[in-house]
Amino acid sequence: MAKNIDEVVEFNTKDLFTVVGNSDDEAEKLESTPYSYWGETFKQLWKNPLTIICIAIIILIVIMAFVGPLIKQYKIIGAGNKTTFDTFENYLPPSADHFFGTAGAEMKPYDGQDLWTLVWKGTQLSLLLGTVVALIDTFFGIIIGSMWGYFKWLDPILIELRNFINTIPSILLYILLMQFLEPSFWTIVLVLCMFGWMGLAGFIRNQIIIIRNREYNIASQTLGSSSKAMITHNLLPYLISVIVTVISTAIPGAISSEVGLAYFNLSFKADDQVTLGQVLTLAAKDNWIDHIYLLLAPMVVMAPLTICFFYLGLALADATDPKNHR
Amino acid sequence: MATFLIGYTIIALIVLFVLFVILVSRRIIFKNNAKIQSIFAHPLLIYSLKRIGSALISVMLAITATYLLLRLKSRTTICQGYIENWQKLPVDVREVRCDSVLKDLGLYGNSFGEILGQIINYFYKILPFPKTICTQETGTDIIYDAFNNAISYVRVYDCRTFIIDLGISYKASGTDSRYVIDIIFGERMMHSFRIGILAVVIELAIGYPLGVLMAKHKDGIIDKIGKTYIISIDAIPGVAYYYIWQLLLVYIIGLENRYDASNFASWLAPALTMGLTGMAGIALWVRRFMLDEFNSDYVKFARAKGISENRIMYTHVLRNAIVPLIRSIPASILGALLGSFYIEKIYGVPGLGEYLIWANDYNDMYALQGIVVVSAFISILAYLAGDIVTAMVDPRVSLASE
Repeated sequence: MAKNIDEVVEFNTKDLFTVVGNSDDEAEKLESTPYSYWGETFKQLWKNPLTIICIAIIILIVIMAFVGPLIKQYKIIGAGNKTTFDTFENYLPPSADHFFGTAGAEMKPYDGQDLWTLVWKGTQLSLLLGTVVALIDTFFGIIIGSMWGYFKWLDPILIELRNFINTIPSILLYILLMQFLEPSFWTIVLVLCMFGWMGLAGFIRNQIIIIRNREYNIASQTLGSSSKAMITHNLLPYLISVIVTVISTAIPGAISSEVGLAYFNLSFKADDQVTLGQVLTLAAKDNWIDHIYLLLAPMVVMAPLTICFFYLGLALADATDPKNHR
Repeated sequence: MATFLIGYTIIALIVLFVLFVILVSRRIIFKNNAKIQSIFAHPLLIYSLKRIGSALISVMLAITATYLLLRLKSRTTICQGYIENWQKLPVDVREVRCDSVLKDLGLYGNSFGEILGQIINYFYKILPFPKTICTQETGTDIIYDAFNNAISYVRVYDCRTFIIDLGISYKASGTDSRYVIDIIFGERMMHSFRIGILAVVIELAIGYPLGVLMAKHKDGIIDKIGKTYIISIDAIPGVAYYYIWQLLLVYIIGLENRYDASNFASWLAPALTMGLTGMAGIALWVRRFMLDEFNSDYVKFARAKGISENRIMYTHVLRNAIVPLIRSIPASILGALLGSFYIEKIYGVPGLGEYLIWANDYNDMYALQGIVVVSAFISILAYLAGDIVTAMVDPRVSLASE
C-alpha cells in the first residue's frame, strides 16, 4: 500500500487542463454519433461471428438451390409428368456423375433419379413455400394479434378459437382439410397458413397486454388517439424486435410443417417439382440403413438451413432489442 | 340394469353438486354457515368448475367441426372401408349394403335435420355414463322348452358395458375381431403410455439437471453445448431427427429396433428417442427460469448477506424455478397416453398415434372422431391439473377470480 497518497499523486491541476475559451460553433457539435435504430441493430448483428457464418450458409444454400440443378442438367419428374426425364440405376452411391447418388427403388415416382438435382430442386420449392407461408402468417398474425391484445371484447372469442384448434391434433386437421383440396402449391400454403397465424397472434397478444396499460399509452389515450394510431404508433413499434424474430423463425417452422405433410403423403406432386420434405420422407421410408446417403443427402441441406434461420432469429432478437444497444 | 341405475344416480349427484356449489358460492343458501362456505365455495373448486365449463364449450365445438369435416367424406369412401370385396360387388348390391352399413353406423341421411340428429346422437354416446355396446354376432343360441324341444332361436351378440361409447370400428386393425373402439383405444393407449411415461422420466431426469447446469455455468462450455443441442432440436424437422436418433440408438449403440410389449429392452429405443427430444424444451425453460431468479432481488440480498452460492442455488433458486415446470408435468403425463405418430411408426409401436394414421388410411370415421374426443378430454384435464398443481405448490398463485 502507498505510504501516503500525497506522495504518489502529485496534484498539479494546471498541467491537466488547458483553457480553450468560448466558441459557439464547438458548443453545437455532438461528440457521439447520432443514434440510428437500424444502424445500431446491424452493428450488433455483425459483432457475432456465428451470425455471419449463418447468413453466409443461408446465402450459399439459396444460391446453390438455383445453381445446383444447372451443374448436371439432369431432368427430374413429378407424379403424372409425361415429359422426358433422366433415370439411372437405383441406389447408385455418390460419385462424380451423381454427387449425392441416385434415389432408391422405393422412392416412387423419383426412383432412379439424380438425388443432387432432386435435393436442390426441393430446396428451391421448400424455401419458397417457407417464405410465403412465413410472410402470410406474420401478416395475419400481426394484424389479428394486435387487435386481439388491444380490444378487450375480442379476447374471449379468439381464446375460444385457440382452445378449439388446440384440442384437435394438428396433423388430423391437415388431413381433414387436405381431403377436399387438390394438392398444389397454393393449397399447401392455405392449409399451413390456416392455423399458423394463431401461434404468432397469441404471442403478440400477450406482449401487447403487457405494455397496453403503460403510462405513455394511457397518456396517449387520454389525449384522444384513435385505436388505429394507438396500435400502429404506440404498440407495434415497441414489438419490432419480437416481430423480426418471429418472421425468421417462422421460415424453418413452415419448412418443418411441410415435412410433416409430406410424411403423410399430403404434400403436392406437381410436374418436375419436388419439395425437400418429400425427398426426406421418401428416403426415410426407403432402405436408408444400407444406403445411408439417401437420408444424408436431404439432411445436409435441410439441417444447416433450418438451424441457421433459427439461430439468425435468436441473434436478431438480441440485436433488435434497444436495451442491448450501446 | 343396476349399472344404468348407478350411472344415472352418479350423473344426478354431479348435477346436484354443481348446482349446490353455484348456490353456495353466490351466497343464496347457507349464507352464514362459515364451514359450508369454506368447503363448497373454495376458490379451487369454483375455479375448476368454471374452467371445465368453459373448456367443454370449445371441446363441443371441436367435436362438431371434426364430425362435419369427416361427414363430408363421400358415401362411397365410407362404405368402401366397411364392406369387404367392395370392388367385386355389383352396383345395386353395393347400394343396398351401403345403406344398411350407414344405418348401422348412424350416418344415414344427408339433410340438415338428419345430420343435426346424428351429431346430437354422437354427443349422447360420448356422455360419460354406462351404456351397453353390442358388436358382432358370436353365434345362435337355441332356447329349449321343458320337454327339450327347440322353441326359438336367439342371436347372441357380444355385449359389454362401457362408460363412453366411441362407436364401432368395422375394420379393426389386424386380424382380431375386436371392433369396439373403446377396447382398441384402451389397448393402444397402454402401449403409448408405457413408452410415453418412460420418455417423461428420461426427459425430466436429463433435462432438469442439464438446465440447472447450463444456468449455473452461463456462457460456459456446458451452456454452449446445451444451447446448440436445443437450437438444433427446435430447428430441424421432427421427422428428420427421429431418424438420426434411430441411426444412433439402434444401428450404432445396438438397441432393439422393433417394439415388443413383453420385452423391456425394446421399449428403450422409442422412449429414448422421445425423451432426448423432449428434454431440449425442459432444459431451455429451466435455464430461463433460473436465470430470471438469479437476477431477482431476493437472490441479490441473499448474496449480500454472504450466503454461499450453493446454498442460494438449492434453497432459493431451485425451489422457485421448479414451480413453472411443475405446471407442465400433468400435461406431459396425460399427453403420454396419446403417443407420437412418427415415433410409433418408426419403431412399430401399436399405439394410438399409429392408429390415427391407420384410421385415416381406411377412412374409419368413428376411430378418427374418437381420437379427437380423447385428445380433447385429455387437453382439458391436463390444463386443469396443471393449474391446480401450480396453485398447490406455489403459495403466491391464487385461483380466486377477485
